[in-house]
Amino acid sequence: MSDVLSDDGSDVNQDDSQEDVMTPAELIAKLEEEANLQRVKKGDAKAGIHRMEIDRIRFVLSSYLRSRLQKIEKFFPHVLEKEKSRGEGDPSLLSPEEFAFAKEYYAITETYLKAVALKRMPSNLQTVDMLKAVPEPCLDSFVFLRVKERQENILVEPETDDQREYVVDLEEGSQHLMRYRTIAPLVSSGAVQLI
Amino acid sequence: MDPSEVEFLAEKEIVKIIPNFSLDKVYLIGGDLGPFNPGLPVDVPVWLALNLKQRQKCRIVPPAWMDVEKLEEMRDLERKEEAFTPVPSPYYMELTKLLLNYASDNIPKADEIRTLVKDIWDTRVAKLRLSADSFISQMEAHAKLDNLTLMEINTIRAFLLDSLNCMYKLRSNLQPGSSKGQFTDY
Repeated sequence: MSDVLSDDGSDVNQDDSQEDVMTPAELIAKLEEEANLQRVKKGDAKAGIHRMEIDRIRFVLSSYLRSRLQKIEKFFPHVLEKEKSRGEGDPSLLSPEEFAFAKEYYAITETYLKAVALKRMPSNLQTVDMLKAVPEPCLDSFVFLRVKERQENILVEPETDDQREYVVDLEEGSQHLMRYRTIAPLVSSGAVQLI
Repeated sequence: MDPSEVEFLAEKEIVKIIPNFSLDKVYLIGGDLGPFNPGLPVDVPVWLALNLKQRQKCRIVPPAWMDVEKLEEMRDLERKEEAFTPVPSPYYMELTKLLLNYASDNIPKADEIRTLVKDIWDTRVAKLRLSADSFISQMEAHAKLDNLTLMEINTIRAFLLDSLNCMYKLRSNLQPGSSKGQFTDY
């Protein structure tokens, strides 16, 4: 069950984090195996079991893709900005289809705003800065997480002015509640899992 | 997360069944199952066990923790301790509901078990509410919640995270000249 488990883990990650966390390899692998198993026709019992499992996997995949699309729609200018500013060798955060979707969404929203409101405004107010218009993802929101690899000395920043910052060690298998920003690099490296 | 999604994840847990049919090994994407021989116990995921049970092709063996004495002990321990005690299974609530709904004839003293699990759940959720309340009022920045199950976390997730984010927005607006971007309000 390890394949399905890791897929579900990343699916849950996607629901909670405000950024796009990418797992392209798993998607493609699952779709290939689905195509393979279409060929299993013999024996109704076995085919039924395989079909049930494929349905479950399809549900996980589609909810994963749905959360990614929802995030793109919510934060589209910032997602595109991040794509533009990433370095040459860095892997892309979006799949090619998602990137095309984001660009089209941007263009359509811009056209819509122009047609509905902006063209009737005085000419020096006719542009809108999308990056300022759309709220950016709040990376300081709290998240629940489970630790996969032991981490030491994670800095916890104080909430109020009278508290001091302190460090915590994250034991393997423990669960915590803290700000996303401090553990963001650990999520991308796979050391913690959002729940 | 939706409770039905948590139940979906719970259905991946392994449970023992005793089939009344035979089938050779099945090679699923997630792992291998079987071979199935009538009368011999086999480990399968809960989603398959429930499906087979509904088609009357197997008998479900209750997991080791689903026993009246053990659950009574756990309930008493939970009531004594202030912290969260270790759970019988990370999906104890969902498994109890699923197995008792579809296979109560295979589980001895099903009603008592249902009541005991509900007692354990109620105690834990009450503790969770108290600790969430103190987390917010003390304005803590970090909490360790080792023995909480996903279903319990899910009950307060929306409220707790939203209120913490609201408080953060209010606090960061107090600091003059902070150059944080606008936050989502929805």
